[in-house]
Amino acid sequence: MSIGKVHSWKKVIAQLVLLAAPTAVLVFYLLKQLNAAESVLQNDWFRQGCYFTGAMATAILFYSFRFRVITTTVILFVVLYFFYKFSPALAVGEYDAFNIQIQVITFCLLAGIGWLTGMGFSRWRFYTAFWSLLLLGLAIFSVSRTSDFKAAAIITSFAPVLVYSFYIIYMAELIRNMSKEEKYFSWFVVKRAFGFFVLIALILLSLYYLFQGDFNAIEKEWGGSKQGNYKDKGNSESMTRDNKDGTISNKDQTKLTGSLSRDQRLVFVAHLDNFFPDGKTPNPLYFTAYYFTKFDTLTQTFERDPNMPDNDLFTPDPSKIPLYFAKTDSNVIKNTHASVGRKIINTEVYKVFMAPGDFVAPSTSFFCQPIPVPNEYKGQYRSAYRAKMYVSELNSAYFIYNPGGNKQIEDFQKIRFDILRGVTNFSRLDKKFLNYYTFMPKDEEYDRIRHLADSLGADAKTPADKMLAIRSYFLGKDEFGQPLYKYTDNPGVPGLPSANKLTYFLFENHKGYCAYYAGATLFLLRAMGIPSRIAVGYLTEDRSSKNPGWYWFYEKQAHAWVQVYFPGYGWIDFDTTIPGTDHRDAPQPDQTPPLNMQQAYFVADGNVTDIDTVKKRMEMDVTKIIFHDKDYDSKVIQHIVTDVSLATVSSDTGTVPLSYIKKGMHVTAASYSESLKNLSSNDADSMKSVLAKMPKLIPIDEIKVLEPESQAQEKKKEAEQSARPIDWIRVLIVSLLSILWLVLMVFITPTFIYWWYRYSAATEKEPAKKAFKVYRLTMYYLNQMDYYRTNMGPRQYAKYIDGTFNTDFEKYSNIYQRLKYGPGELSPQETTYVNSFFKQFRGKVTSRIPYLKRRMKFYNIYNTIHFFTQPKIK
Amino acid sequence: MEQQVQLQQALSNIERLTNNIEQVIRGKRMQIQFILTALLAKGHILMEDNPGTGKTVMAKTLAKSISGSHTGNANFKRIQFTPDLLPMDLIGSHIFDDIKKEFIFKKGPLFCNVLLADEINRASPKVQSALLECMAEHQITMGETTYPLEKLFFTIATQNPVEMEGTYPLPAAQLDRFFLKIYFGYVDEQTEMDIYRNYLGIQSNLEHVQQVLSMDEILFLQDETEKVSIHDEIIAGVKNIVRDTRVHADILLGASTRSGITFLKCLKAYALVNGRTFVTEDDLQHLTPAVIDHRLIYRTKEAKQKALASILDKELSRLSKLKINS
Repeated sequence: MSIGKVHSWKKVIAQLVLLAAPTAVLVFYLLKQLNAAESVLQNDWFRQGCYFTGAMATAILFYSFRFRVITTTVILFVVLYFFYKFSPALAVGEYDAFNIQIQVITFCLLAGIGWLTGMGFSRWRFYTAFWSLLLLGLAIFSVSRTSDFKAAAIITSFAPVLVYSFYIIYMAELIRNMSKEEKYFSWFVVKRAFGFFVLIALILLSLYYLFQGDFNAIEKEWGGSKQGNYKDKGNSESMTRDNKDGTISNKDQTKLTGSLSRDQRLVFVAHLDNFFPDGKTPNPLYFTAYYFTKFDTLTQTFERDPNMPDNDLFTPDPSKIPLYFAKTDSNVIKNTHASVGRKIINTEVYKVFMAPGDFVAPSTSFFCQPIPVPNEYKGQYRSAYRAKMYVSELNSAYFIYNPGGNKQIEDFQKIRFDILRGVTNFSRLDKKFLNYYTFMPKDEEYDRIRHLADSLGADAKTPADKMLAIRSYFLGKDEFGQPLYKYTDNPGVPGLPSANKLTYFLFENHKGYCAYYAGATLFLLRAMGIPSRIAVGYLTEDRSSKNPGWYWFYEKQAHAWVQVYFPGYGWIDFDTTIPGTDHRDAPQPDQTPPLNMQQAYFVADGNVTDIDTVKKRMEMDVTKIIFHDKDYDSKVIQHIVTDVSLATVSSDTGTVPLSYIKKGMHVTAASYSESLKNLSSNDADSMKSVLAKMPKLIPIDEIKVLEPESQAQEKKKEAEQSARPIDWIRVLIVSLLSILWLVLMVFITPTFIYWWYRYSAATEKEPAKKAFKVYRLTMYYLNQMDYYRTNMGPRQYAKYIDGTFNTDFEKYSNIYQRLKYGPGELSPQETTYVNSFFKQFRGKVTSRIPYLKRRMKFYNIYNTIHFFTQPKIK
Repeated sequence: MEQQVQLQQALSNIERLTNNIEQVIRGKRMQIQFILTALLAKGHILMEDNPGTGKTVMAKTLAKSISGSHTGNANFKRIQFTPDLLPMDLIGSHIFDDIKKEFIFKKGPLFCNVLLADEINRASPKVQSALLECMAEHQITMGETTYPLEKLFFTIATQNPVEMEGTYPLPAAQLDRFFLKIYFGYVDEQTEMDIYRNYLGIQSNLEHVQQVLSMDEILFLQDETEKVSIHDEIIAGVKNIVRDTRVHADILLGASTRSGITFLKCLKAYALVNGRTFVTEDDLQHLTPAVIDHRLIYRTKEAKQKALASILDKELSRLSKLKINS
């Protein structure tokens, strides 16, 4: 019995060479990578690849004969199953059994997949599509699991599979459509494959080129976390970030790194109206910027979470609020859920290096009001704001470093812990809230932290005691009397690449900076079931006895600490970072604070409609005013004229000359003028009536320029761009435009050629040449109208055209043919006939074809292409 | 100048001849022109078609339309080729004259002006080659004597396309001797209706065919054919077509150089038949299948339909876009 063949030998060879070989290469590559990642595979990628390849090649050869697909496959799988089932019998020992079992499983799996693949290539048309999808899915899965966010790494793991997928589908179709008669098939395939690779290379290169910036950005953002090398200077972190304009902000996120760099720049100066009950001893509070409530274990990054429950973070942009106008968020107060021991206090912040849009204040702030910097300090401070906070009376920066001897503070510490001990459990808390703020990852690393937390909190009964136990643990001494923990900006990185920095800090190194202490404390607290979060901002130090209540903040004071939630009392600051020898060395001298605040009697906010720098007049359209601390606003724009001869002008960057103000700018003008002091207002007043009381020329002392419009827009754009790292819109528009351009070219080309032929025919003087050009024009026109000359001689064609359109093209054609090949010149009648031929000819043709159809045909580029291509010999 | 007048006269006579024949053979102007082309090019023509399409009548009418020098009209002979035909039946034979006591040569039917060789492929190759040799040589040699054929000697051969038993298809080398091979074809519906209506009139037309062209005029026109001007580009076109047939993948045997020369002769004659003294693209288009097709051997049946047409179309496309050079 002979078995018929399904495919010719040529086809089988093509399948083996063009489909199976690249597949084998890819599988070898993938298996090698997989072996490197998974230890269970025993690093035997070559043999595993051979299982697959062998099975695939055998299947291709097998199924080139007329065998039943389903039957044979079922038989094969039954055989493989029994082989798997009875293989342990071959083993000698237990280890051997396990080993053999693993090998048999890999063999069965790979050979099975290889066999299916070979069968698919041979018989099943759509197999390549499924196969590609499977591989792509695997690639995506492996990319998503990696933390090695490098463009190169992603491309090397993804690009081969992607290219292979396109290739295999394309090539399988090509081979499927290969016919037996094809003489030059191999050459044809080589040409196609070459074209394919050129195309793929172009696409990949252009993609890489287009998104190179984004790749690098992603790499920068996410990458590098695994490669710990503390000698690497680029690896050092800072608690702050430098903005483009030279200012400083707190970071939105922080991760534990091998070293921390700190600067000595003055960031801001603040006056905090918080004193101990004696009224003299200042009670400093930490200035909070953000809360980190989430921890990404993969990148070891503490992150902000805009969706944290009971969000009590107030983040106004002081640069966007007009001078003296305020922004208040009372939700913040509500979200603290604190009913006991809270008071409202004020702070004034004078920014030096701090970004204009940043806002820091002790928690929990709810009010922000930009204020002007007094004239004599304008060179020193760029801008200022006043903030109000709903502050816990139990809160204080004094927690770890108690200045010894101050009875006031020592008493305060004792009292507050006594109060906090009253909180014994968190059972009254909302479950969702509690779960969120006590969440920690569940794995071995964190179990160690849990054990530590259990041992630390064994004796402590209340959360406050547990908190103190953690503090004592960090401050504790080892058996040699040496401090157990040390502060350092350069804690280094763990030697084992997979080790967690946090556990390395807690259990081995015992050295770190604030983020380490805060992170460790957070997890210890959460392990004890105490809701907590990390706060970032600035450490407040009371260094000046000359100006109580004034604090100076340098960049190195950027800090991270822990806040603990006590029901009823709200979030309490809790700093466990131990003082380091290199930490608070050489305190910067405090300077004179910007005092003598002036009282603004009148403030107007609006757009400049006219500015005269000579007469020192400024006209404004205002919508909001403040008069004697009362806000008025109106939907109707009010026009005011001001005298700015005494005014100082400032923007977020500092003092600017009057000429800086341009028409259309958004400004806030304030007046301290004594002449306005005695004007009074009552409750019935509206904005209009207040303005009516004003002198015609309102004297202005202070003008604050809010961000000019253009700059604001630029920033907005920038923000939009950074929010969308891969600018698909741009890509879309560019590709759409190019497609549109192409389409336009395609549409216009026939017309252009027609115009050119027409023009050259009309301007030709010599009769013989003119005859030719008119003939060419006619031929082109007819060709565009879908009347091809194919397989017709000139006379036959002319007859056909004449028959269709009732023209006299044959006459013209005869004249032209005589002129072309025969003797003699054109007679005068013939010359006039040639001159007038095309116009009447076209008239007759157009009258026979409906307009729309004519246009459709005329713009058809295929007709044009047909006109210019030399017919091929078939 | 006188010659010019004579040429004009001859050309108009050709036109008249065409019209004359068309009175008898309806709706076959193209074929008539091809036959006249072969006549003027001093060649011979092979017609292939089913019996009863008017081949014989055509030949007869042609012969009758030409006025001979001595007899009333041109000498027309018809031979029906059969398998048992011998060369002698064509050429003639020596017979013994009792009175003169010597062998004298009795001329066969080849000694005529217009010869109709009917169903040429039914005769044995020996007879076929005898005929074709005469056509090429224009003379017959018997023993030591050479007998020239008539000055005007024109063969119209016919063959049936159907593969019948007892036929000897002409080999390519012999087909090459025929300048043109045309298909007669059936007439269109309208013409056929006309023929049925007036078949009596047509028959009487055949009997009273006017003699419109003298033998001398034809000989003169045959000489004139050589003088027809042919543009270099047309010659290049002929060259291209001939060469393309040699390289075409689906043509086993391409056209020879001799066929190229024949082609040029036919082009000139065809121009003259159409009343022109110059060759145009149209002539090339019309003549290519008739002149070239029967000389080629195709690989497949499909190729027979397409190969030559595409070669011709390529050449026509080139010529149609050619800039006039004056």
